Amino acid sequence: MLANYLPILIFVIVAAGLGVVLLGIGFVLGRGQKDQEKLSAYECGFEAFEDTRNRFDVRYYLVAILFILFDLELAFFVPWAVSLDAVGLFGIGAMGVFLALLVVGFIYEWKKGALEWD
Amino acid sequence: MSVVAMLFFIVVLLFALLAAAALLTWVERRLLAWWQDRYGPNRAGPFGILQAFADVIKILLKEDWIPPLADKPVFVIAPAIVAVTMLLGFAIVPLAPGLVIADLNVALLFFFAMTGLSVYSVTFAGWASNNNYSLLGSLRTAAQMISYEVFMLLSLVGVVILAGSFRLTDIVDAQRGMWFFVPQFVGLVVFFLAAIAETHRLPFDLPEAEHELVAGYHTEYSGMKFGLFFLGEYLGMMLSSAMIVTLFFGGWLGPPFLPPIVWFLLKTAFFVCLYLLLRAALPRPRYDQLMGYAWKFLLPVALLNIVVTGAIVVATRSPAEVGS
Amino acid sequence: MTTAFYIFGAIAIAATILTITRVNAMHALLYLVVSLLAVAGVFFILGAPFAAMLEIIVYAGAIIVLFVFAVMMLNLGDVSIEQERRWLSPDLWLGPSILSAILLAELVYLLSIGDLGAPPGEPVGAAAVAARLFGPYLLAVELASMLLLAGLVGAYRIGRILDERTAERTSSAEREPVAAGADAPQRVEATAASVFAHDGEGE
Repeated sequence: MLANYLPILIFVIVAAGLGVVLLGIGFVLGRGQKDQEKLSAYECGFEAFEDTRNRFDVRYYLVAILFILFDLELAFFVPWAVSLDAVGLFGIGAMGVFLALLVVGFIYEWKKGALEWD
Repeated sequence: MSVVAMLFFIVVLLFALLAAAALLTWVERRLLAWWQDRYGPNRAGPFGILQAFADVIKILLKEDWIPPLADKPVFVIAPAIVAVTMLLGFAIVPLAPGLVIADLNVALLFFFAMTGLSVYSVTFAGWASNNNYSLLGSLRTAAQMISYEVFMLLSLVGVVILAGSFRLTDIVDAQRGMWFFVPQFVGLVVFFLAAIAETHRLPFDLPEAEHELVAGYHTEYSGMKFGLFFLGEYLGMMLSSAMIVTLFFGGWLGPPFLPPIVWFLLKTAFFVCLYLLLRAALPRPRYDQLMGYAWKFLLPVALLNIVVTGAIVVATRSPAEVGS
Repeated sequence: MTTAFYIFGAIAIAATILTITRVNAMHALLYLVVSLLAVAGVFFILGAPFAAMLEIIVYAGAIIVLFVFAVMMLNLGDVSIEQERRWLSPDLWLGPSILSAILLAELVYLLSIGDLGAPPGEPVGAAAVAARLFGPYLLAVELASMLLLAGLVGAYRIGRILDERTAERTSSAEREPVAAGADAPQRVEATAASVFAHDGEGE
């Protein structure tokens, strides 16, 4: 059964090698002249206004948390889906309760306006 | 398959993919030009087909440049991540019966693992560039990609219920009676929209919306490093088209007057062209519209689709089939 | 395959050590991703492909993305790198590493005396996982759902607190620029207090 995964392993190695080779070719062939103006960060021709390492809107963070929660939910969904025949009506009920709880949370987020981007 | 034969197959597939991605840039420009009543690149070779290879040579010879303020190692690794993960995604796509590199029993999850990892390419690129446009672009992309990734997976739970397997060859075989786009039409629509957002193609290309963000997360990239982002985008487009075909349109199945692999390639090419047509036809939404649409429309629809599919399957399958 | 197991294991350990010792948070996260991927490889070899895929999708693909966001959100550039460098002084890591070494020794000892049995020959697929999840461990699944619900609600609440804190911080920074990092604890207390005060008004 482990022989099944050998092709993947080889594929990973070859594909990663290809990525390195492509980067390498670009590095070897892509030579140019260094220039002070060229070295500055691109700001539409202006001098940089402020450092990029700055804080940003917490909303992105919130989206990431929502993503994790639904991703974890999927970790339960996916095995349920693949063996629905085996778990049958009981499984539907179990998943119904599971889903209902999440939907409550989702409605809460929605009503509180956490899904708005303004 | 012996190791040598497998290695040969892998190398052939990888180079075919690279060539296809290069050719696709030419196809895209010609088709867009056609739809917009222009000529497009038509000088190099017959129909301008050599333009694709001229572009490859050009991109290889462009100055390979790292901004001095950038975080060098991360800056260099970032573009390779998307290209490699998208290439890896093809390892599980069955081109024809028996013609698949790894017929994993968790193939569908492997596909999601790879799309999930490709998010790093964008976030690392934006962070490492140390440029405001890049950072904003990468944040937008990352938030967009992770949002739509959820619905992408949710939309496929229906397919998994119907096929009872993650193995893509099983899923194709399960479609012998009826292709899944009929019972899973909602899933198909959600998956297709999510796939466009995942590959951040137009109209969902807000991460690189040029009038706001110059070029988004790859503003500071040039030469082959930019080329790898480009490659990743085109590979992603082909990969998601191939997945749509495999999951909803019967993969290699088709009337027997053409060999299975031709059917597969034809169907995939059709969806790639659909991608390109969308680019020509649709305007870009605002970012708040994009995210709101994702969470407020696609998520409920996808969840409803799962519940309904599950209920119907359990209700209609006779007890004799249970456990088979 | 045993060789592959040890290679993956070695990669995981090396990447984890590098994760701990990097001073740049983003580099540390990059190594952490590598470490998680290596662990997924180990799962594959032990015959748990489903767990391996979840490891990549959930840990490498989701949780670390959140970490990356957090690092990007709170990143102060050179200030935090300096801070990390200070934390890497021996008097700070010596104690924890001695304790970890004792734990490791204990683990090795237990492994050497106990009979753990060979890993299962057949891969444990998703269906087998589901049969357990929606059978004997159903209660755990529903509890997990509760936990996710708590997460949903908590994420929103904390997000609002952070939002207000950022707003406050920007306004106070405009009034009197202060060196970041030095007075952080007091400021967190102050903002937390103001958040609670605000809550009192709101409800």
